[in-house]
Amino acid sequence: MGNLRRLVLDVLKPLEPNIVELVQRIAALAGVDGVNISIHEIDLKVENAKITVEGNELSYEELKEVIELYGGAIHSIDEVAAGARLIEDVITAQD
Amino acid sequence: MQKKLAPFQQLMDYVDNFQSYNQLVGIAEIARRYFAMNAFDGVLTTIGVLVGNYLAGVRDVSIPIRIGVATSIAMGVSGLWGAYLTESAERRRELLELEKVSLIDQSDTKIGRASRLAIIVVSAVDSLAPFLAAMVVLLPLFFDSMIGNVMITYALSIAMALLSLFGLGLFLGRISQGNLLGYGIRTLLAGVVAIAINFLMGGE
Repeated sequence: MGNLRRLVLDVLKPLEPNIVELVQRIAALAGVDGVNISIHEIDLKVENAKITVEGNELSYEELKEVIELYGGAIHSIDEVAAGARLIEDVITAQD
Repeated sequence: MQKKLAPFQQLMDYVDNFQSYNQLVGIAEIARRYFAMNAFDGVLTTIGVLVGNYLAGVRDVSIPIRIGVATSIAMGVSGLWGAYLTESAERRRELLELEKVSLIDQSDTKIGRASRLAIIVVSAVDSLAPFLAAMVVLLPLFFDSMIGNVMITYALSIAMALLSLFGLGLFLGRISQGNLLGYGIRTLLAGVVAIAINFLMGGE
């Protein structure tokens, strides 16, 4: 399997457990170099979070398990990057 | 082997995560409330048993012991059943509401596990608090043969009850960070009032 280096997920999660706990739990996963969670929308009991994870040999399954343990549901995988080095999205003339 | 270890592992996970679960659903706060409320009930009910037996002219302590123990068991069972049913219903409703908005099954998430742990802890506290409080009040009755005088035994039991009530008041005062003595006196007063009404209504 190719080396999964970056994952950007759109997640709907309950307000509690909060993202401070979740970000630390994700950061402790094997292969994770860094995580960022930002909140885009807050409802009465749930919030929409964008979770960005970078590292080496990331496991999507493990990440999914942690998010589900914290009551979250992955709505979409918004960006992925894999391989020997990290490639950023390229802006073309069509964009 | 893996299967045998699973429940133990699960228990260890619960213990490890207790702090986090407590923060999520406030287990300690509810347990504290149930403890104070039900220990208070336990002591006052046992005061009723003691004063009732005394006023009925019972001088054989084995009778209030039996009645007291039976009552404390009934209070313990009542606490266990009552708290389990009410807490389960409340927690289930909260989880269902969360499931409705998050659109996923929350039963095996941290919040689902925390809710289940809360039900167990609260039921245990609700059951043990009145039982233990009643047993503390009855304690002198078990030493009646050593004490030698049934009147002193009754008096010691009542003193134990009033002391327990005062202790509960101090506990509540500490929680509220208010006036410890004020809370102690207020809870103690409940015992005095219960004894006084019993004597006024049932005096020979």
